[in-house]
Amino acid sequence: MVFCHPRRDSLCGAAYDRVLAGLASAGHEVRSCDLYADGFEPVLSLADREAHLVDHRVDPTRRPEIDRYVTDLTWCEALVLVYPTWWAGQPAMLKGWFDRVLVQGVAWELPPGANRLSPLLRNVRRIVAVTTHGSPKRTNALEGETGKRIVTRSIRLLCNVRCRTTWLACYGVDRLSAEGRTAFLDRVERKLSRL
Amino acid sequence: MRAVVILANPNPGSFSHAITARVERGLMAAGYEVVVHDLCAEGFRAELSPDEHLAYETDRPVLDPLVQAHIDDVLSAQALVFVYPTWWSSMPAVLKGWLERVMVPGVGFVLDDRRRVRPGLGHVRRLVGVSTYGSPWPYVKAINDNGRRTICRALRMSTGWRTRTSWLALYGMDTLSDAERLTFLDRVEAKARAL
Repeated sequence: MVFCHPRRDSLCGAAYDRVLAGLASAGHEVRSCDLYADGFEPVLSLADREAHLVDHRVDPTRRPEIDRYVTDLTWCEALVLVYPTWWAGQPAMLKGWFDRVLVQGVAWELPPGANRLSPLLRNVRRIVAVTTHGSPKRTNALEGETGKRIVTRSIRLLCNVRCRTTWLACYGVDRLSAEGRTAFLDRVERKLSRL
Repeated sequence: MRAVVILANPNPGSFSHAITARVERGLMAAGYEVVVHDLCAEGFRAELSPDEHLAYETDRPVLDPLVQAHIDDVLSAQALVFVYPTWWSSMPAVLKGWLERVMVPGVGFVLDDRRRVRPGLGHVRRLVGVSTYGSPWPYVKAINDNGRRTICRALRMSTGWRTRTSWLALYGMDTLSDAERLTFLDRVEAKARAL
């Protein structure tokens, strides 16, 4: 599971704890990372861009800084993302994680002459996104729900054909009551404990 | 009239840089004063830091002088142009981070007395996006073209009612011939000239 929020004392941070609790009660083995705490560098550099052209399986030692994430990605059966929605999508930190970690030879391969990627993350059978939105759902719908579609379409297509996606979102966080907050957190834990 | 061009590509020899040069030439011919920001070359940090997150809802949300310089340019611009390669159906992390760090309260939007979000970019008349895609058109549409939606919908909601958006896209660029790519560059310049 991937956690991405600059502050641990946020609603996302609380959701992260409940995700861990839910997964533990269901008896799953969990490997998690906190991108901000890890000091992950989200900007894909020129060196990364060149390395992107080489299949990761050919030279797995080339990029030690993403090694750990690559190992976890190819190990897991479910991918859980916990993040706040900013400007209708994932924070730059998480988008950068997609940009840099979903490399050729790990997440996809490009058969010669084709311009469609073939998926390689066939071990991933479930994607769960847990996210908070400052604005109400209708505003997000007008904005195009880009975060949701990046997860359920773009990333989903790199995974197993039968991969299912679960969207756990809390809308209108700016005006959320204490009950609403508790209800959201309970829903997160309940869903994850039944994964 | 002033135009700000935001370029997000780590490779100084990229096709995005060629596009930017043509956009600049076209805009200058149209009588615009043009400012180009190459985010990767400027070393623009992508992630919203924990301190910036804390400062976000205060009166002084900007902590980085580079971000302030970008804000000053944006506030005096009548046209915003974004040039980037589409990765995972959306913009590179550094551009997503630009939206998060530059379009802070008081710039991208303002909160009124009842803490409702109101547009802050009323002075921007044109929003233009130029992007290159590895995937062919039907595939991009099926996945949803989230970068385009982020700019033409989410950011569009922060501008005035009369603001027009334009989108120029080069699909399936890996399998195109050089002549087709050059045609696209001409189209970009013609569009910028007519802005």
